[in-house]
Amino acid sequence: MQADLTLLGLGPDGWGLALARAGLMTLYVSVAAFLSGLAFGTLIAWARVAGNWPLRKLAEAYATVFRGVPDILVIYLFYFGGRQVVTAIGTALGLSGPFDISGFLAGVLAIGLISAANQSEVLRGAYQAVPRGTIEAGRVVGMTRLILFRRVIAPQALVTAIPGMGNQWQSVIKESALVSVTGLVETMRQVAVAAGTTQEHFLFYAAGAIIYLIITTLSDHVFRLAERRSLRGHEQGGL
Amino acid sequence: MSLPSTALSIAGLRKSFGSNEVLRGIDLVAKDGDVISLIGASGSGKSTLLRCIPMLEIPDVGTVSVGEDSLSPTGGRLSRAQLAVARQMRGHLGFVFQNFNLWPHRTVLQNVIEAPLFVQSRPRAEAVEEATALLEKVGLAEKRDAWPAHLSGGQQQRVAIARALAQRPRAILFDEPTSALDPELVGEVLKVIRALAAEGRTMLIVTHEMGFAREVSSRVVFLHQGLIEEAGTPGQVFGNPASERCRAFLSGHFDRNR
Repeated sequence: MQADLTLLGLGPDGWGLALARAGLMTLYVSVAAFLSGLAFGTLIAWARVAGNWPLRKLAEAYATVFRGVPDILVIYLFYFGGRQVVTAIGTALGLSGPFDISGFLAGVLAIGLISAANQSEVLRGAYQAVPRGTIEAGRVVGMTRLILFRRVIAPQALVTAIPGMGNQWQSVIKESALVSVTGLVETMRQVAVAAGTTQEHFLFYAAGAIIYLIITTLSDHVFRLAERRSLRGHEQGGL
Repeated sequence: MSLPSTALSIAGLRKSFGSNEVLRGIDLVAKDGDVISLIGASGSGKSTLLRCIPMLEIPDVGTVSVGEDSLSPTGGRLSRAQLAVARQMRGHLGFVFQNFNLWPHRTVLQNVIEAPLFVQSRPRAEAVEEATALLEKVGLAEKRDAWPAHLSGGQQQRVAIARALAQRPRAILFDEPTSALDPELVGEVLKVIRALAAEGRTMLIVTHEMGFAREVSSRVVFLHQGLIEEAGTPGQVFGNPASERCRAFLSGHFDRNR
């Protein structure tokens, strides 16, 4: 059997443009989820490191829950569960349906919250790896907590965190394929549709794999570059 | 000639770690230009005493004053307002750690200008100029763009001293500044501290280098089990100590060094 490669092209029968758009959507979902995970993960890490007892327990419980539940379940919960909640609220307010929530939003939230739990682990470990003496040296010259964080803790923690954060980014990209269950047309969804329509399953799933590989390989390079740059001044480090 | 005024004073200072009472009521005054060496066996409380001055350890009770600022913490805690005073006090002190504690992600020069720029908000050009002069003084002008990890221990400690001097401190506190160094690197650091003493800098030095303490100090304080057991000029304390414990400590020390 000879696969018709014009199916991947930009011609009238080609899926090229659709696949490119889908690849971009995967990137959007992943970036949005990763960044919301970073923001929320930083808060969780902070609560676990510096919070009082209830805050610490809450943050630990959060990490336990989101690291211990299948990702797909969280997406279903947010998308279908979320729609149910919105409908209930809408009806109670006397609005007329049908109610819906965006697959993009539900997906980003679900993956972002899962990623936050994992990122908080990475960030907490990185914070704990900052030598205490360098923090003391900052306190003793009169730094406020904010300046201490910005000038002493964060730059050093980042060096430790970058490889781990690179791994988190990779898993966010892969988890973003799960968002296809909401009907959002990202890479996974698009190749499934194309494969079903043309019956060229091997061709389109292989094309999908390549799209994911392009994204992960490129971002791997970016993280390596960032890591090399951040290691300046450290014994093993570059420049 | 007017009498030198008080740079730093400590009164009724007590500090416990759990049930272990490390400091049991310390009174100490440093006038401008004093060089005070704190000696004593390990566990005598001398490092804790030094760390209590910038509130790296918070005393259980007692008063610490640096220049105009004064703090009397209670219960081993600082209130928000007291913390602000502590920061101000820290700004008037230089502190040199046993393990240097340079910021590894910043170059030598960046280490020295960090606090002037980001704590004291001085203009960059001025901070750099002053830092350059300080690095010159500690003999490391040519290392200004090096990373700390690429320096020897003695060089790192000299950078740390330049960083402390960049505070324009009223007094400089040294916490066993040569204890983490290889023997052949001790001399270069002591030389820098000696030069600071000759300039008339006010300094408190926790040290095990007895020969150095004897030579450089205006006053020597011997601590034993959290109390000042003996204090006086180097001549008195080393030559003719009143306390039997001090005598025993010193003879043990000089024997070991022979």
